[in-house]
Amino acid sequence: MTGTLPNESMIAMNETTISRGFRSKRQEQTPKNRLPPGQYVTTDFPVLSAGPTPQIKLGDWTFALQLGASLLGKWNWAEFEALPQTTIKVDIHCVTKWSKLDTNWQGVTFDDLLKAVGLTEPPAPYIMAHCDGGYTTNVPVADLIGDQGMIATRYEGLPIPPAHGGPARLLVPHLYFWKSAKWVRRLRFMEKDQPGFWESFGYHNYGDPWKEQRYDGD
Amino acid sequence: MTENVSDLALEGNAAVSLVQELFACDITVARAQCEACGSIEGVGALRPYAAPMGAVLRCTHCDGVLMRAVHTPHGRWLEMKGARYLRF
Amino acid sequence: MTATETAARPVRRLKWQLAQVREIVVETYRVKSLLLHVANWRGHLSGQHVDIRLTAEDGYQAQRSYSIASPPEDELLTLTVERVENGEVSPYLVDDLRVGDQFDLRGPIGGYFVWTAAMGGPLCLIAGGSGVVPLMAMLRHRERRNGHAPALLLYSSRSPEDVIYRAELDAMARRDSHLRVVNTLTRKQPDGWMGRRGRIDKALLAQECFPPEQSPKIFVCGSTPFVEDVSRFLVELGHDPLTVKTERFGPSGGQAP
Repeated sequence: MTGTLPNESMIAMNETTISRGFRSKRQEQTPKNRLPPGQYVTTDFPVLSAGPTPQIKLGDWTFALQLGASLLGKWNWAEFEALPQTTIKVDIHCVTKWSKLDTNWQGVTFDDLLKAVGLTEPPAPYIMAHCDGGYTTNVPVADLIGDQGMIATRYEGLPIPPAHGGPARLLVPHLYFWKSAKWVRRLRFMEKDQPGFWESFGYHNYGDPWKEQRYDGD
Repeated sequence: MTENVSDLALEGNAAVSLVQELFACDITVARAQCEACGSIEGVGALRPYAAPMGAVLRCTHCDGVLMRAVHTPHGRWLEMKGARYLRF
Repeated sequence: MTATETAARPVRRLKWQLAQVREIVVETYRVKSLLLHVANWRGHLSGQHVDIRLTAEDGYQAQRSYSIASPPEDELLTLTVERVENGEVSPYLVDDLRVGDQFDLRGPIGGYFVWTAAMGGPLCLIAGGSGVVPLMAMLRHRERRNGHAPALLLYSSRSPEDVIYRAELDAMARRDSHLRVVNTLTRKQPDGWMGRRGRIDKALLAQECFPPEQSPKIFVCGSTPFVEDVSRFLVELGHDPLTVKTERFGPSGGQAP
């Protein structure tokens, strides 16, 4: 420490500096019962990706349900669009603490996918979502059935932009948004749970925002 | 760590900072060889992703992941299996 | 290793230091420079950046990184900040901050995107929008060192009102026959504008940049799409990718900020 400005040096070493007049804009007008702990509301839609945005041609796109080595079902874009469509309005919560309320999505629910391949029961308790670019995330099937999960193709009435996961992304809004995997191509049923990209590397395996399950160890 | 990526910030460096925190030497001038394609690049030149969740540093030739880092309240994680070596 | 890179150096564990605002300079309608006194500042190199941390009275914190705009020769540390719509930190720094205010700061950070006069030239600086900030630190350092190494700043802005450091750059270029500043305006040009229009493309780079045979030190800074396009063009024009150093601002998911 220098001798000239002892107070400044001590502050630097021991305390956090309070900045006059700074406050979180996002604490304003927050409907508290809709926000999980530690979250703030944002009106924009931040983009976070683990890799470059894949440029996918709809003509090449397919989506599949897989169990072991076998395909339970596979659709091209036209076939997928012909499946029953559901529209939902949900709040979404990112583990980086922003939440976005009343977002509108359209797509095919997990329940309708099972029906489409002739299943009345899910064939295994877990799925791993596989995506263009190599991203993966694991979700219990119990968190997808009963209208809890869908493969979304529209956001706010328009095709999902590539940076936000278009042409299709998994949507599981009651879990942290890293589980709503962008550029999803395949759901692979698993007998045993296995961790995906973030779950195997510091983040929580399940990710319930209401229990603030952000990290492995929470 | 940035909290809102829509704010203009050096996101590339936010990602690199997460990795840098774990090294005693300046990692941005270290060279890394990509395990997937063999190309050698300066770590400072790798394409950074995923801040603020973590750092994912990818090869500029093949997009393979060379390094990943995450900083959580329970500890810090570093994975470098995508890099055959780092040379300082 | 190339001559522009430094050998492995140990990195000091950075601590947060107190930064106090000594002066505020209005650069454009949404850009201000903050001149800071930092308690135990040990110096920096042009191109490096700092982390700043703002803490509210209720303990809420936000942290951001900003490039250092001042050269190492300056007494005070300068950060140049652009106000981003719906941003959390930049509106505070540009609209609310006053002389005498303070916040936490740590740095300098980064050894890769750095230029010192000792590295020599020719120096080729390519800026998109507020990406000009770390490149300005390099030009200011070059001028303080009476550098004669040929230098070019190729600077893309949306409109004349968005050109940061405009007067200073004009004056620098007038004083120094070895420095060229080429502006291009992408969205709006004033009446009678005889300069370049539109984005920086391969043709403009071919025309203005030092050719690969001269082994220029190249620094590109701006949004991710800007940096990736410009780097690709430069490599296509024959520049060794290892001589093209890049710094990206903003989200890296492919969307321009």
